[in-house]
Amino acid sequence: MEQKIEELKSGIKVHYVKTKQFKTNIGAIFITTPLKKETVTQNALIPAVLRRGTQKHANQEEISKELENMYGASFDVGVEKMGDNQIIKLYIETINDNFLPEKENILQKSIQILFEVAFLPMIENGAFKEEYVNGEKQNLKQIIESKIDNKDQYALNRCIEIMYPEEPYGIYKYGYVEELDKIDANNLYEQYSKLIQTSKIDIFISGDFEIAEVREIISQNEQFKNLQERTAEYIVNNEQTAIKQKAQKVNIQEEKRDVTQGKLVIGMDVLENKADSRFAISIYNTILGDSANSKLFQNVREKANLAYSTRSSYIRQKNNVFIRCGIDIPNYEKALQIIKEQLEDMKQGKFSEEELQSAKKYIISSIKTVQEEQDASVIYYLGQELSGYNISFEEYEEKIQKVNKAQVEEIANKTIMNSIYFLRN
Amino acid sequence: MQIVENLSVKEKVYIDKLENGLTVMVIPKKETQKKYVIWGTNYGSVDNEFIVPGEKEITKVPNGIAHFLEHKMFEQPDGTNSLDTLTALGVNANAYTTNDHTAYLFECTDNFYEALDELMDYVQHPYFTDENVQKEQGIIGQEIMMYDDYPSWKVYLNALQAMYKKNPIRIDITGTIDTISKINKELLYKCYSTFYHPSNMVMVLCGDFEPEKIVQEIKKRLLKKESQSEIKRIYPTEPEEINQKVITENMEVSIPLFVIGYKMPEEAEQTEERKIIKHIAIEILLNILIGKSSELYQKLYEKGLLLSEPDLSFDFSKSYAYIMITGQSNNPEEVEKEWKKQVEKYKTNGISEEEFQRVKKTIYGNYVKEYNDVGDIARMFLADYFKGINSFGYLEQYEAVSKDCVEDVLKQYLLEEKEVLSIVKPKV
Repeated sequence: MEQKIEELKSGIKVHYVKTKQFKTNIGAIFITTPLKKETVTQNALIPAVLRRGTQKHANQEEISKELENMYGASFDVGVEKMGDNQIIKLYIETINDNFLPEKENILQKSIQILFEVAFLPMIENGAFKEEYVNGEKQNLKQIIESKIDNKDQYALNRCIEIMYPEEPYGIYKYGYVEELDKIDANNLYEQYSKLIQTSKIDIFISGDFEIAEVREIISQNEQFKNLQERTAEYIVNNEQTAIKQKAQKVNIQEEKRDVTQGKLVIGMDVLENKADSRFAISIYNTILGDSANSKLFQNVREKANLAYSTRSSYIRQKNNVFIRCGIDIPNYEKALQIIKEQLEDMKQGKFSEEELQSAKKYIISSIKTVQEEQDASVIYYLGQELSGYNISFEEYEEKIQKVNKAQVEEIANKTIMNSIYFLRN
Repeated sequence: MQIVENLSVKEKVYIDKLENGLTVMVIPKKETQKKYVIWGTNYGSVDNEFIVPGEKEITKVPNGIAHFLEHKMFEQPDGTNSLDTLTALGVNANAYTTNDHTAYLFECTDNFYEALDELMDYVQHPYFTDENVQKEQGIIGQEIMMYDDYPSWKVYLNALQAMYKKNPIRIDITGTIDTISKINKELLYKCYSTFYHPSNMVMVLCGDFEPEKIVQEIKKRLLKKESQSEIKRIYPTEPEEINQKVITENMEVSIPLFVIGYKMPEEAEQTEERKIIKHIAIEILLNILIGKSSELYQKLYEKGLLLSEPDLSFDFSKSYAYIMITGQSNNPEEVEKEWKKQVEKYKTNGISEEEFQRVKKTIYGNYVKEYNDVGDIARMFLADYFKGINSFGYLEQYEAVSKDCVEDVLKQYLLEEKEVLSIVKPKV
């Protein structure tokens, strides 16, 4: 699997990911813009309104019928948060032409409908169609309110909010209910027009195809032709840009909700901004809590039997490590104590050469696995694009191999608790 | 060795039944770096009453024991844990338990044979002690509590309880804190020796394999076992009628979750072909009635009664079969009412040729998409095997499904008296 990138227009890149491994092709458009409290809700609403209808397919039913006739192409829209950016995504997956019962050019059709939904929305009186905007406002309201439904995810989001109270990363990707009232078909269309003129746009085509053919389909596409050259505004996020101050004291917060099991989340800052420190931090995170061999799994689960699920994860865009576990509520102090002991052991270098090697194998195997999953590989390449860091899978592997124990220990000593959040009843 | 080829997805499966009764299936994939192995036994959460081959008495075991056994298989006499050993090899290992099977698996890009050694070693060597059983009661207790906080799990389980009076499918796979406290090492050994016989198991491998060679490697690693006669499984006689029309539960959710379910006759004796055709027809039917392009979905979405397209599923095994439509709505009762109206309308007017052809194309695309990932492929062949199906059958039989088949399943299975509603509502 290899990626070729072409900036067909300034600020608009096409990523060709050629692979023969899948039965499917994926086409995706990512529109990236800095996360801001004032625009987050509008931006979250935009893809949902786009999905409702285009100038060629007036409503969802028509779009869906078109997709079904393309052997059930899957079409998805949504928003994501990656570092300090909000990303609007549109995504289509179709059967590769080699596996169709009859010969057809589905690839071309799929790229066309993708561009149509993204850039040729249904317009009435110079604005989005009001009915669609109002309907989607209702839906988005419910989506925002449903953030309490998944308690594990809710606990993580709350911890992030506590750590970043006034900063973009603390913003919820779907926005805020109070902002919805201010939105109408006119101002939403204005925001959309601004977005598609100024944002960074990345187009991905993944699968078995000829680059020349796809380049031709895209550059001849009417909607693509209408896009202007731009100096794309977005935030480059990586371990070098996410600079942290040591927290004065650990922020401890407890919240009561209707849960059976307590959800504990610990947010930590990594105070290290050297280039390529992500590799040592990944290894630190794996030894600490990302695999079944990790200190958390072994000690919190296997030895103390306090949890079924316990792990840590590394968010490299923000230089954070989050620890999460689900525990019996009265075991809070006990679990916290054991977790602190693990962090201390990491600082003192109490992990073996074996643990280091096993963590390396684990990371290298996951990175190889990314190439085996078509959608995961697209997201991986997008992540690289937005962190301004494009390296091949082989280089990634080399850099992981080079990390030594002293470097991991150094990271452990620079990884400082910022917040502890506990969701309980 | 039997070879079955499918021309639509251009893949082959090699099937070998070994002397000791173990079935091995290999689906070679040349282009991939990832190798996936899954070893499953036809033993799940519903198998709580059975006669051990050679015995006369019925054995009854506590609910949740198949899942408990799955957790405990990783433990080794020398104090190590096979999950750790596999992880240290850079291999991603896991296991899971469903209603009708338990499976142990790993995927890897390197160290394949070392990992295969470990997998085949630990699945063939149970090691249970009073102490390690007690330890697991704590961990699984937390797993049970974690599921208690998932409204989507609750609404699903309640739907099964609304449909079934007796069938153990209505019981949580994990059991309860109370039932797992009754599990001990003797019971675990008994279940192991009954259900983990090679003749009750299948191994599926997908990745860059030479079928002949890998089967030899598997044979080398298999322990000798006496042949075993059939395990007599006892399932309570399930009445045809549903248990309860509506089950409502309150949880802290922002918007109600619902399942509309239909209990179907089990039809254990039907042929493989009949199972597949019925399955495809049901998938087409549900998509025509309430799928993304349907008139009903469009209407419910525009009225704000559905947030997104509902999840449509049909599941079956030897002892059960049911349909579920799962979604989120501010007014599940209204969704149910509209749904029933649509069902009646289609029963009267029939299905149009255009919608039938269009939705059928979609179903074809969905089947082809199943062949992207080595893990998805292997898990699919395993799960289908325990249902008496070769997965390629769906692509082979696809053409044979006619509009009449779809109208037949509509009239035969979407019956008012077999319908249930499960709702999880917000707490007031």
